[in-house]
Amino acid sequence: MAGTAGSINAAVAASAGQPLLVAGFAEWREAARELLAFDIAPHAVKWIGQRDEADLFAGAPADPHEAAHAIDLRQARPVMHLPRKLMDMLQSAACCRVPDRWAFLYRVVWRWQHGDQVVLSPADEDGARLHAMVKAVHREEHDMHAYIRFRERPEAAGAPRFVAWFEPAHDVLPQVAQHFVSRMGRISWMIATPDASVLWDGETLHNTGPLVSSAADLDDAGEALWLTYYRSIFNPARLNAGLMRSHIPSRFWKHLPEGSVVPQMVSQAAAGARRTGQAEAVGQRRGTTIPIAADKAQPQRQAPSTLDECRRCELWQHATQAVGGAGPAHARIMLVGEQPGDQEDLAGEPFVGPAGQLLDQVLRDAGLDRRTIYLTNAVKHFKWEPRGKRRLHKTPAQREIEACSYWLDQELAQVKPDVIVALGSTALKSVLGTGNVTLKDTIGKPIRHDGRWVITVYHPSFVLRVPDEASKQQAMAVMVDGLRQAQQLLQMKSEN
Amino acid sequence: MDLTDKLEILADAAKYDASCASSGAPKRSSEGKDGIGATSGMGICHSYTPDGRCVSLLKILLTNFCIYDCQYCVNRRTSNVPRARFSVDEVVKLTVDFYLRNYIDGLFLSSGIIRSADYTMEQLVHIARQLREVHNFRGYIHLKTIPDADPALIAAAGKYADRLSVNIELPTQASVEKLAPEKSVHTIKLAMGSIRRRLDEKAEEPRSPKFAPAGQSTQMIVGADASDDQTILSTAETLYTSYKLKRVYYSAFSPIPQSPGSVPLAPPPMLREHRLYQADFLLRSYGFVASELLPASGGNLALDIDPKLAWALANREHFPLDLNLADASMIARVPGIGLRNAKRIVELRRLRRIRYADLVRLRCSMKKIAPFIVTADYSPVRGAASSEVLRRSLAEAPQQMNLWPELRAA
Repeated sequence: MAGTAGSINAAVAASAGQPLLVAGFAEWREAARELLAFDIAPHAVKWIGQRDEADLFAGAPADPHEAAHAIDLRQARPVMHLPRKLMDMLQSAACCRVPDRWAFLYRVVWRWQHGDQVVLSPADEDGARLHAMVKAVHREEHDMHAYIRFRERPEAAGAPRFVAWFEPAHDVLPQVAQHFVSRMGRISWMIATPDASVLWDGETLHNTGPLVSSAADLDDAGEALWLTYYRSIFNPARLNAGLMRSHIPSRFWKHLPEGSVVPQMVSQAAAGARRTGQAEAVGQRRGTTIPIAADKAQPQRQAPSTLDECRRCELWQHATQAVGGAGPAHARIMLVGEQPGDQEDLAGEPFVGPAGQLLDQVLRDAGLDRRTIYLTNAVKHFKWEPRGKRRLHKTPAQREIEACSYWLDQELAQVKPDVIVALGSTALKSVLGTGNVTLKDTIGKPIRHDGRWVITVYHPSFVLRVPDEASKQQAMAVMVDGLRQAQQLLQMKSEN
Repeated sequence: MDLTDKLEILADAAKYDASCASSGAPKRSSEGKDGIGATSGMGICHSYTPDGRCVSLLKILLTNFCIYDCQYCVNRRTSNVPRARFSVDEVVKLTVDFYLRNYIDGLFLSSGIIRSADYTMEQLVHIARQLREVHNFRGYIHLKTIPDADPALIAAAGKYADRLSVNIELPTQASVEKLAPEKSVHTIKLAMGSIRRRLDEKAEEPRSPKFAPAGQSTQMIVGADASDDQTILSTAETLYTSYKLKRVYYSAFSPIPQSPGSVPLAPPPMLREHRLYQADFLLRSYGFVASELLPASGGNLALDIDPKLAWALANREHFPLDLNLADASMIARVPGIGLRNAKRIVELRRLRRIRYADLVRLRCSMKKIAPFIVTADYSPVRGAASSEVLRRSLAEAPQQMNLWPELRAA
């Protein structure tokens, strides 16, 4: 007689050499917990699942007298708590239809209980098998999600509106049913399999035994449309039937409506229609060209500014757009930065990113209104290099600065500012037209250049990168001082 | 024209688009609710066609009337193809019917340009809105964005769609100017940039209205112009980093009926597309940069070996790598060890030392991996084989030239 799992009797029965009958994962878990508590080794337990009928009578105790050594119930030990990951794997593997599944799973938890954590690694022999079982079950769940085909029943026939037949290789029906509950909302459906069926009436799931013995034989007009789509979405120029078969194992094809049209599609594509991707049926129809003149087909676009067409250096290739200057056409102070950053490149406007926000702060501290200043950059395209998934700012080379000074010179000629504030070294080099200047020598010291005052301060991005708060405040103070000086220079100029 | 005829023409017209993914959407369920549809975050392929590509979405054009004249496209205005146009209700009904029968996970909708970019985009948004708001459809929706459309329409599309895509189609501006005279790389980049800015805004303000939660993607056609793989990969890298794309799809050019003289008559080798996908995966998930895989001076990926093996053979100074000491990102760079096995090796290493037999049980490709690793009980003979010799032994077997492809395929 088989012992009933799920009670204290499991340990008694096992130690008496009786096989344990297990109907499902919950029962197995109860029994296993108990066996572990009495430290009963895997080889001493005989498990039988409900499906394994052949084994039902194979488990008689070898020696009935051994039952006399029944375990001492007082010797129970605390059982280790199993981690979630292991429990999930066990639960999945328990759905795998292999004859010794319960015995195998017990061996796994036994080893874990004895501190053998390697059992979870696929590099371990048991671990590899556990992973393989889990994978097979997940694969079957996935295939059932993918390859079930519902057929619609006439509305007058009542619930279920949609029925499907499937032959799963593992015990995955309960979890798959849940997938379709969330997919179908309040619409009723039924999935029949050789062992069991589930019916969803729109509110609750009903589990029953096998109801039908083959695929539902229904006429469904939707299926003809599906076959049309299936045939048309296939590109005969790319025929690769081997790849198709490796994705859908052959046992599924017989229940898929499209399975019946595949051989014909393969042979047609192989027999000459391969030169073009168009389906034969479409190619045979009468065609139409669209009678519209080429110049009428042009989309309406704003004429791109000339800056966008700039190819004076290579930076345009990897930038979104050129970022020109912004501000009053005759501002008296012009702020020149280095180059647009990530945000500026997307927005098409200078100083809108983090550096722009810091600049706003500095301008406020210096008592300047951003709206009265002309803001621009020495280089108009964003230069960057990939760093992980981000664009990392890269300092422009001298030749790129020189190429782009063409545009800065035009801005200077149009705006005619009295004072230029150069933010950082690239801006300074560009404004002075030479690579032989250093930030250190010029910072905070106004220079006369081409009849204008040029004053250099740090670039806001530099301030953002300063690690400690004290130095950062100091760097910001230099910027504020510089901008105040710019205002003073402006006043001197107007007094003269 | 009845629905079957339209479906035949407009699915045929849509099959040149490579993307058909339905992953990345937030979890949704219709349990106990009106309407239908669920997403689990992971896409499901519901079928495979004889070209080996999966069907996970109803991929159709709203119409294949098109006023543009892109040379690589079967629907260009000068092409003599049968034309059709779905009504909004037809697309909605097809999507719902196919979804209920479990044929698809959702809709991938694109269109030829009719009247204007804005008008076309409005129609696409209209269909998505009907599905979401009238039918409470919670399945996946991917809308192809028309680059010249008003940014307000792109914003509306992102409200209903899980994913938006703007196709760059060709890797260089020069090729786009030549083969797609009505398109402009500039407006394509601006459209991608505007989508990225909205995705960024959404990420910063989680309570703001939803916007394309599965992100944006694009497609590049390979082999319609003379661009080499270096150009293609570096363009892909620019797009990934600049616009935070989820995917770049590569579609080997398929010759089209009555092909214009400006595009080739023969398709590029399908293996080239495959190698680009492999290289792309190295960019997205392994931390490679394009310049490591191909020199800036240009060139194509090797067809006989995969790009990771090619990189390892060209960078032998990093190997053999001691799997018991190296860090995870370097282990993942060993040919024959994937991301998952790299993680497993690091996990196992905390418990005990890695041995050769462990790798066999992890089902690594031992022939590939052996020259590049050191384990507790194994180390290759140093300098035993030159990269050239290794390459010959690891390359895929050369195949007999295919003289009669039709016969062979049959």
